[in-house]
Amino acid sequence: MSSRLRTAVYGVAGVVVLLVIAQIIGTTGLLGPTWPPITEVAAFLFDPSNHRLLGNALAATVSEAALGGLIGIVAGIGFALIAALLPLLAPGLDRFAALIDAVPAIALAPFLILVFGREGTPVIIVALSVTFIIYISTSSGLDSAGRPYRDLFSVLGARRAVRLGRVDVPAALPKLFDGLTLAAPAMILGATIGEWFGARRGLGVLFVSAMQNYRIELLWSAAVLAVLCSLIVYGAALLAQRAVVRRFA
Amino acid sequence: MSSVLQQASVTAPSTGSTREIALTGVAKTYPLKRGASVTALAGIDLEIADGEFVALLGPSGCGKSTVLRIVAGLEQPSTGTVSVGGASPQALSKAHRLGVAFQEHSLLPWLTVRQNITLPYKVAGRPVDTAHVRELIDLVGLGGFEDARPKHLSGGMRQRASIARALVLDPDVLLLDEPFGALDAVTRRRMNKELARIWAELRITTLLVTHDVDEAVLLADRVVVMTGRPGRIRHIEGIDLPLREHTELTRSPEFHEIVDRLTGMLETTKAA
Ligand SMILES: Nc1ncnc2c1ncn2[C@@H]1O[C@H](COP(=O)(O)OP(=O)(O)OP(=O)(O)O)[C@@H](O)[C@H]1O
Ligand SMILES: [Mg+2]
Repeated sequence: MSSRLRTAVYGVAGVVVLLVIAQIIGTTGLLGPTWPPITEVAAFLFDPSNHRLLGNALAATVSEAALGGLIGIVAGIGFALIAALLPLLAPGLDRFAALIDAVPAIALAPFLILVFGREGTPVIIVALSVTFIIYISTSSGLDSAGRPYRDLFSVLGARRAVRLGRVDVPAALPKLFDGLTLAAPAMILGATIGEWFGARRGLGVLFVSAMQNYRIELLWSAAVLAVLCSLIVYGAALLAQRAVVRRFA
Repeated sequence: MSSVLQQASVTAPSTGSTREIALTGVAKTYPLKRGASVTALAGIDLEIADGEFVALLGPSGCGKSTVLRIVAGLEQPSTGTVSVGGASPQALSKAHRLGVAFQEHSLLPWLTVRQNITLPYKVAGRPVDTAHVRELIDLVGLGGFEDARPKHLSGGMRQRASIARALVLDPDVLLLDEPFGALDAVTRRRMNKELARIWAELRITTLLVTHDVDEAVLLADRVVVMTGRPGRIRHIEGIDLPLREHTELTRSPEFHEIVDRLTGMLETTKAA
């Protein structure tokens, strides 16, 4: 318990040190005018007159990330289950997933915009990257039950689907949740990048317009919100992952 | 306690089919890296009659678990044939008529003791006989630990849970791989006694792998002594001791004569 407290203290201290350094860089202008003092960014964030603008953008990005994440999780788990039940399809699915992941979202963007429209593109970009991460982590998880368990189910006369449900899936949960902690930051990142291609609302839109209009505080505020969002989703995924490991590993 | 046995015989009416095990000319080689291979078994001929209890003794690494895995249908013999009740071992496991307690306990870590023991019912798609499960839990001395997870149990308790799981469907054939290895001497003898009692009632065809010569002689109709590298059968001892209380039996000179002879055989085997 005391060692956990110590880690927490170190963590907080580290963040404080970083903030102080950032503040010093900002006030001294060490890295030029695009690095404002942190206090100015905070003031912008807490100014009620900015809340509607920031709030709308945040809500748009979060809902795209959530929808895309949900699609990605369902699709990733679904493909992994298909690959496990129909081993003939597994190599094809592996290669297809690797191919999708190897093509950068930027390169796919024109095609995605044509098919899914400007508002749909962020959701699809999130879904694609989450599908890949969850597919890989779930597939390796479904393979992780040891030989003793497979032997047990074969002497019990279990059909493949029964073994899948009673051993492979529970044994896969820790790896699946590992995948979720990786997917969490990718969700916010994917949504933000997806919004660069002409979406009407979102943190990504704020990035683009703040850069074009040289509104440094707005740019930084949007970045802070994106990072905070990522951290919160990541933290939630990490808590869930720990609980799952305690139960299933 | 005898109600367990009555219940068992009610839920598992004798199928009338024979349940003998036959290994004929069985050899097993495992491929190793770079084209090398290891011969785990060579020329194994062994018949276990319907309702017979056979114990397998031998030094570590001589292939006892390999014999058991071949009978369980988990490994294919490289040459030779294996049959259980005239059919393949897989046919027996597909019919949910095989009970196995493995050397590694293989309890599912996310299930409680009770859930682990009821697992064979779930896999077979049969309704759980809770009274039977309850009595098996008491029989292996795990009463009060039904809702514990395996990681909170000692090694010996896990082994007892996996014995209960192997017995729960009243199998036709029972395969036990050093099931009492992690138990203290006293609990071990108590479990031996319980197993002997269940077994006398149900007459399950049983193959028991053990390192304990006393245990083998106490429980088995025949004791098979193996030698290693490659694994072969060195000697088969028919045990024909008068039916007596275990503690009484272990004190008898006939019992000691057999145990000493088999122990001597194991010692020379190890030295070889
Ligand atoms: N999957 C495998 N691959 C390669 N070699 C194996 C495999 N399983 C067993 N062996 C080899 O076969 C031989 C017999 O192994 P086995 O597990 O049957 O021995 P055992 O008599 O059960 O030993 P113990 O008493 O220590 O459990 C050993 O030499 C082992 O190295
Ligand atoms: Mg062994």
